[in-house]
Amino acid sequence: MDYLYSVAILVGLFIILASSFNLIIGYGGLISIAHPIFYGLGAYTSALLARDAGLPVPVCMLLGTLLAMILSIAMALPALRVSGDYLLIASIGFQLGMIELIKNFRFTGGAGGVSGIPAFLVPTFGREVYVALVLGVAVGVVLLVRRIAHSDYGRAISAMRDDEQAFAALGRDAKWIKVSLFALGSGIAGFAGALYAHYFRFVTSEQFEILMSSTILTMVVVGGLKTPWGPVVGAILLQILPQAITFLNLPPALLGPLQGLLFTGLVLIFMFLRPGGLVQAGSTWTAHSRARKEV
Amino acid sequence: MLEIKGLSKSFGGIVVAQDIDLVMRPGRILGLIGPNGAGKTSLFNLVSGVYAPDAGAITLDGAPLDGLDLHERARRGLSRTWQHVRLFPSLTVLDNLIIGAREYPAESMVTLMLSPGKIRKSREAARAKALDVLARIGLSDTAGKSIADLSYGQQKLVGVARALMNDGRCLLLDEPMAGVEGQAYEAMQKIVREVAATGVAVCVVEHNVAFIRDLCDEAVFMFQGRILARGSVTDLIANPQLTELYFGH
Repeated sequence: MDYLYSVAILVGLFIILASSFNLIIGYGGLISIAHPIFYGLGAYTSALLARDAGLPVPVCMLLGTLLAMILSIAMALPALRVSGDYLLIASIGFQLGMIELIKNFRFTGGAGGVSGIPAFLVPTFGREVYVALVLGVAVGVVLLVRRIAHSDYGRAISAMRDDEQAFAALGRDAKWIKVSLFALGSGIAGFAGALYAHYFRFVTSEQFEILMSSTILTMVVVGGLKTPWGPVVGAILLQILPQAITFLNLPPALLGPLQGLLFTGLVLIFMFLRPGGLVQAGSTWTAHSRARKEV
Repeated sequence: MLEIKGLSKSFGGIVVAQDIDLVMRPGRILGLIGPNGAGKTSLFNLVSGVYAPDAGAITLDGAPLDGLDLHERARRGLSRTWQHVRLFPSLTVLDNLIIGAREYPAESMVTLMLSPGKIRKSREAARAKALDVLARIGLSDTAGKSIADLSYGQQKLVGVARALMNDGRCLLLDEPMAGVEGQAYEAMQKIVREVAATGVAVCVVEHNVAFIRDLCDEAVFMFQGRILARGSVTDLIANPQLTELYFGH
C-alpha cells in the first residue's frame, strides 16, 4: 500500500511540475531548463529550515516557495531584458551552478543529501491524508493555470506570444508578464519540492539534475502544450508507464535504458504524428465561461 | 504635438535617418513620401522606440521620449500601425482590439487575483470601446471572427482600429493602403480624418500618392534618410526632381 501511496504522490507532484512548466513554456513561450532546480530549492529550503531551524513545516514550505520565486526573478530579469533566448542560456547556467553549490556546501549535506527531514501530517493523520493534500494541490494548480490562461491576463499572454513587439507597441509590458509567469511557475515548482521533501524525508542533489527537465518537458509535450489538462494526462501517463515496466521482471540493467527509450520514443512519435499532444489546444484564445458571458 | 530634432541613425554604413527635424501637429495629417529605402518606416521605428537613435531628441507634448521602451512610449500616447499589419492570429478581431485598450483589464497577475471587480469594469469599458471603433470602421460583423477569416484590406482596417484603442495623441500609420482596394479606401480615409479631427497628430507613410493627396494637409519627401522637401502633396508631386528620385530615370 505504501508503494501505491508513493506512486500517487509522485503522480501528483509531476502534475504540479508539468502544469507549472506549461505556464512557462507553453503559455509564456519561455524556454527554460531550470525547472528541476526550483523544485530542488523548494525541497532543500523547506527541509533545512524544518530540520535545523525547527520552524513549523507549513512555514518552511511557504519559505521554500518564496525563495524559488525570488531566485527565479533574479535569474529571469536580466535575461529577459535582452531577449528570450538569453533565458535558456541563463537557465542552463543557473541549473548547473546551483546543483554544484548544493553538492559542495556542508549545510546542504553535500553529495550525501539531507536526511532526517521532519515529516508532515503523516505521523498524525496517516499517509492517505498526505496523498489527498498533494492531489488537492495538483488540482488547485491545474485550476489556477486554467483560470490564468482563460482570463483577461491569458488574452494578453496569448497576444504577447503571437507578436511581442506589436504587443509592446500597444502599451503592454511584455517583460513583466514574462517575469511574472516565470516566477509563478518556479514558485509552484518550489512548493512541489517542499511537498516532496516532507513526505520522502530525504533529498539529494541527484534528484534535481538537468535530465529531469526532459522528463517534465516530455510530459508537457506528450500531454499537450497550452492546455490546462494536457500536462495532467502527460504526467499520469509518463509516471504510470515506467512503473508498469518494472512489473515486466526485466533485468535491472535493462530497465533504466528502456525507460529512457520510452520517453525519447514518445517525444519523437508525438513530434511526427501529433505535435499538439494528446490534448490539443484550440487555435483561437477563448475566455473562461463567466467572462465569455460578460465579454 | 510630436517634435523630432536632429534625429540620426545608421546601421554600419547604411544611414536610415540623417539629422531629421520634423513636427507633427495636433489635428493635422502629415504625409511621408519617398521611394523604397528612403527611411520612412525606419523613422517610425525610431519614433516608436523599436530602434534607439544615434543622435537627436523626440518629445511628445513637450515630454521627452528618449530612452523609453516601446510600451512606455505607447503609454505616453504614441500609437502606431505596421506595414505588415501584425495582428494577433490567436485572438478574434474583438480581442485584438481589447488588447490595445488604454486601460487594459488585468494588466498584472496581482490585479487578476485580487481585483475582480476592477477587472470587470475595465473589461466592459474596453469591450464597449472596441465595438464602437469596429462600428466606426464598418466592421462590426467581424467582431467574433478570427484574423485568418478577414480579407487583407479588412486586416489593415483592424490594425488601424487596434491602434485607436490607445487614445493616443500621435498616430503613425505605416502604409495603411498597401494591398488594399475598394471599399477599404473610403473607410480608411474616413477614419483617419475623424481621428485627426479630435486633435490627434497623424503621420502617414504611403506609396499610394492619390491616397496621400486626398488625405494629407502637408507632406515631406524623404530620400536616403534625409528630408529633401516639405510642402503640399500637390507641389511635391509636381516637382520634377523629386519625381525623378521617386520613380528613377
